[in-house]
Amino acid sequence: MTRDGGLREPVFATDSRSDELQELQFTLGEGPYMEVLSGGGPVLAADLSSTDTARRWPIFASAAVERGVRAVFSFPVQAGAIRFGVLEVYRPWEGPLSADELTDALLCADAALELAIDDRGGITVGLEDLLDKRFIGRHAVVHQAAGMVSVQLGATITDGLAWLRAYAYAHDQRLELVATDVVARKLRSSLDTPLQDTGGSRNNGADPPAETTKEGDR
Amino acid sequence: MSSTDRRVRETFVEVADTLVAEYDVIDFLDSLARRTVDLLGVTACGLLLVDNRGALNLMAASTEQTRMLELFQLQNAEGPCLDCYHAGQPVQCPDLAEADNRWPNFSPAARRTGFAAVQALPMRLREDTIGAMNLFNAVPGALQSDAVELGQALANAATIGILHERAIRRHEMVTEQLQTALNSRVLIEQAKGVLAERLNISVDEAFTALRSHARVGNHKLADLAKAVVDGSVIIPAPLPPHVNPA
Repeated sequence: MTRDGGLREPVFATDSRSDELQELQFTLGEGPYMEVLSGGGPVLAADLSSTDTARRWPIFASAAVERGVRAVFSFPVQAGAIRFGVLEVYRPWEGPLSADELTDALLCADAALELAIDDRGGITVGLEDLLDKRFIGRHAVVHQAAGMVSVQLGATITDGLAWLRAYAYAHDQRLELVATDVVARKLRSSLDTPLQDTGGSRNNGADPPAETTKEGDR
Repeated sequence: MSSTDRRVRETFVEVADTLVAEYDVIDFLDSLARRTVDLLGVTACGLLLVDNRGALNLMAASTEQTRMLELFQLQNAEGPCLDCYHAGQPVQCPDLAEADNRWPNFSPAARRTGFAAVQALPMRLREDTIGAMNLFNAVPGALQSDAVELGQALANAATIGILHERAIRRHEMVTEQLQTALNSRVLIEQAKGVLAERLNISVDEAFTALRSHARVGNHKLADLAKAVVDGSVIIPAPLPPHVNPA
């Protein structure tokens, strides 16, 4: 994972072997982890001893098998241009993840993304909020709003999304509704809209100065 | 050869040419959705993919107007696409005025947007349904069976375009490709927002600007979107400034 788009380093490993697997891929410059970093989707290697895999990662595949690892599944922790890192799981036996396991892994990657984003937004949310109320999902409007907010703040897209989530959290609103207001230009972020101010810095539709503020800021 | 036959032929030649080269999945689906409207004589077309949570995600539409996008979003709760996905079969609704019991939220919303009829065709890979092609018409009436066949062929082309490994040897590859395509769409939405704010235009207009800039400069849509988001490419305001996408 990366904290600010800089150097990536392992932030958490459940055991020494998974730590070792990541080190190995960094050192060798090959493996599913490295492919996820450069690609756009998950990389699922269900059988590290297959000829396909041996051809794909000649050194990593055999080194992993030597360490008793037979399958590695790597998932990007990302949303569009926002990329935090990789969630990687392994098994000492070969075979693909079941549909349920796959869903769980993708959910975990999303949860990791949201925790990382909220960490930037300076908030800590309960697991319930994380996976339900303010779940980013793929609501088009949330990502559009994140783009708009990033420009308003002169910040990265990651901070745009962090601001939206923090605002939704502070005002106890659904993320899509906050995003809808931003896209409709009823709500505008700025550095002086404190993330954790619950005191209603929000302009709603009935408040014409929103438009003026927008022009004034440009 | 009739002019429709010629356009059908052109479309499939274009599809085949695209699929043997390196291409941008969203751009491909966007062109396909627009061609579908033209070929089937419908008012609007959207292509929706189902993610691992069973949620429908819009990948491309013949129009990116916000009201249209909301109609697709609504179908996560009810609607022809959801029914089509669950049944793995085409869903026809020739008259939305009679569909309020079937879809109490979707049907009135679709009529308010100006539609009278709706269809959904499954996007299938072998036994799995990965999404649906959603067709809207401003006038009531069912699609002719040859139009349904052509629509299904176009929906199949969309499936192939998304799962662009020529042979899906491993089942995991489907997940890899679907997740990649879904993330491309998120990237486009982020770029629309960045552009809308920079140029002080609507997100609908921002997509048109993004798309035409990609066309003119021969950029992949996803590459351009990424560059817009990180600020390495500045797209000028479109002229004339307030053209709505068709």
